[in-house]
Amino acid sequence: MTAGAELDVSPPEVSVRIGARSGAILALASLAGLLLFAWPLLVPSPTGWAETQGAPVVFAALVPVIVVIVLSQLSDGGMDTRTLALLGVLTAINAALRPALGAGTAGIEFMFVLLILAGRAFGPGFGFVLGATSMATSALFTAGVGPWLPFQMLAAGWVGLGAGLLPGKARGRATVGHLAMLVGYGIAAAYLYGAIMNLWSWPTLTGIATADYGGPAGGLDYVPGAPWLDNLRRFGLYTLLTSTAGWDTGRAVSTSIGLVVLGRPILDVLHRAARRARLS
Amino acid sequence: MVHRTVDRASTIGLGEGSDEGSAPRRRENLLARPRPPKVAAVSSAVASVRSGWAVYRLPRSLHPVAWWLWALGIMTAASLTTNPLVEGLLLAAATFVVVSRRDDGPWARSFRLYAILGAAVFVVRILYRIVFGGGDGDHVLFTLPRIPLPSVVAGVRLLGPVSLESILYGAYDGLQLGTIIVVVGAANSLASPRRLLRSLPAALYEIGTVLVVAVTVFPQLAESAARVARARRLRQSSAQARSWRERSRLVRGLVVPVLADALDSAISLAASMDARGFGRAPAGSRRHRVMAALTAFASVGCLMVFAYDLVSGTLPSVALGSVVTVHLRDALLVAGVLAALLSIRLSGHGVRRSRYRPDRWLLPELLTVACGFAPVAAVAAVGAGPDAAALSPAILPTLDIPTLPLPLLVAAVVALLPSAITPPAPVATSEATA
Repeated sequence: MTAGAELDVSPPEVSVRIGARSGAILALASLAGLLLFAWPLLVPSPTGWAETQGAPVVFAALVPVIVVIVLSQLSDGGMDTRTLALLGVLTAINAALRPALGAGTAGIEFMFVLLILAGRAFGPGFGFVLGATSMATSALFTAGVGPWLPFQMLAAGWVGLGAGLLPGKARGRATVGHLAMLVGYGIAAAYLYGAIMNLWSWPTLTGIATADYGGPAGGLDYVPGAPWLDNLRRFGLYTLLTSTAGWDTGRAVSTSIGLVVLGRPILDVLHRAARRARLS
Repeated sequence: MVHRTVDRASTIGLGEGSDEGSAPRRRENLLARPRPPKVAAVSSAVASVRSGWAVYRLPRSLHPVAWWLWALGIMTAASLTTNPLVEGLLLAAATFVVVSRRDDGPWARSFRLYAILGAAVFVVRILYRIVFGGGDGDHVLFTLPRIPLPSVVAGVRLLGPVSLESILYGAYDGLQLGTIIVVVGAANSLASPRRLLRSLPAALYEIGTVLVVAVTVFPQLAESAARVARARRLRQSSAQARSWRERSRLVRGLVVPVLADALDSAISLAASMDARGFGRAPAGSRRHRVMAALTAFASVGCLMVFAYDLVSGTLPSVALGSVVTVHLRDALLVAGVLAALLSIRLSGHGVRRSRYRPDRWLLPELLTVACGFAPVAAVAAVGAGPDAAALSPAILPTLDIPTLPLPLLVAAVVALLPSAITPPAPVATSEATA
């Protein structure tokens, strides 16, 4: 983010720089995104709800705006062609990994392996953009574009962002402790990603119970205005029943196996590419 | 079918508007006679109208954004009502338009997947009602044995009596959600994703470049994997992996070279992009960038407060003078969206690029968008009128038979019109589909 007039003579770096401005926007937008994911737990009382039955629809329209703003601010002046090309190629690999080995095979998903490693090697900004573009591209290929896509882009972006924000130095040969940290992060990210996407689909799929609506009395419905612990318990049961045993665990296991087997060599390859990009 | 369409295009002298990679023969036609003959126009008014209609009907793909806006309108209407008759009509209209106006790209075949997904959601919603106690109302259809649960999950009921009312609740909701999913699928299969990428705003130029690179590199990955596998077969004839260690080495031997190969090609791609002026840094001034960041910050802030207020309802209405009352929440939404638009415009300020054969926005595009939003207008009109109850037929306490007010029927027919009033989709010749 240097002034446009100055000539930049430092060697090009493969990264998406997060300056003060874009960092502040990323933080605020992440907070807004978290709010848009977790709104079912935040409704304080049913009074405000009565007139806003359509909140999920409105939120599904808001998230794309926020994703577009964050991406346009992150890319503003901070990406050179090497970063663009590497992002493109890694996105393509991720998009290829997702439908080929992902959905439909009991949650075996290797997309997070490369996402976490690339976020680790190239920094948090790169990780965020890679997560978002990977989701967008794989949606274009499998034609999975829909209201869920912006939420997936945001959540996957956070996974890449978090990998870049992990402590320890990113350069050099990865130690065993370093790999163990990445594996731990991978498992946590796999479960959290599944849970937060479930939190988004929960009110839509089970239904929203209100006084004049009448959901099933004994269901796992979202009840607006109920104490948040109550809703959290119902949601926990819902996500446990629907996905934790299958999808999320499958994703966690395959991510950690991928990180253990391929973590070090892939990190080496990524570092080598970064070196080559600096030299060429 | 293929021959007929191509012949028609070539006799009139236009083969324009196809997607990427059009056939060489069509391109010749385009060069030879870029405008349709005007002879007919002078002969008589009837002939002129007829030829105007013929030009209008020339096969071309509609602007992808037009299809998405059309679908957005239908989705909005579908989300505003639970009347199964309306949902069914909108579903039918979207399906009919897809069948008559999709071209033959790979994305066009995705409609079936969405239809399956929509049907699955419909069934799941009903099953959910049955499994988690569907005993609301008086008309009990059948009774399933109830499964006792431990006290940890108090409040959850498994199976038991199933009533018509609870199944109808599930069916209405499921049909609404299924309609929305199918309409999303309609937009997906009607609009080419590649051309949609091309119409991204300038602020997303870099992200758009990343996506285009990804879409282009994608097919090369398979070839790279095949090359690495072949090289490995040449080195060792039979790879017998017994232990876990050997097996992981085998995976590494495949994944690492493919990845290294792909990253190397990315570096050389970057060099050639540099040479052609792709992805260069925007020329926008510092002032523009600071303004863009500030408006982005304001936009996200406004939208966040709006979202929180939507579910909590704490912000008051403010009276401006004696007549106008503005709800602060709505003001925040408008401010947030305006700031977002301004920010996107500002950060795209310095980006200048030319386009090869840009998608045009003509009359059919406008008409299509208008047709998509007709159901929204009809739903709003019915909702404000005496028939408002028809939008969400009551199930409890009394079971209403859903009725269909005339405006909604008309609107559904209007939503169907793009299948007739838009030009047909170009049918590519065999080499263009590859």
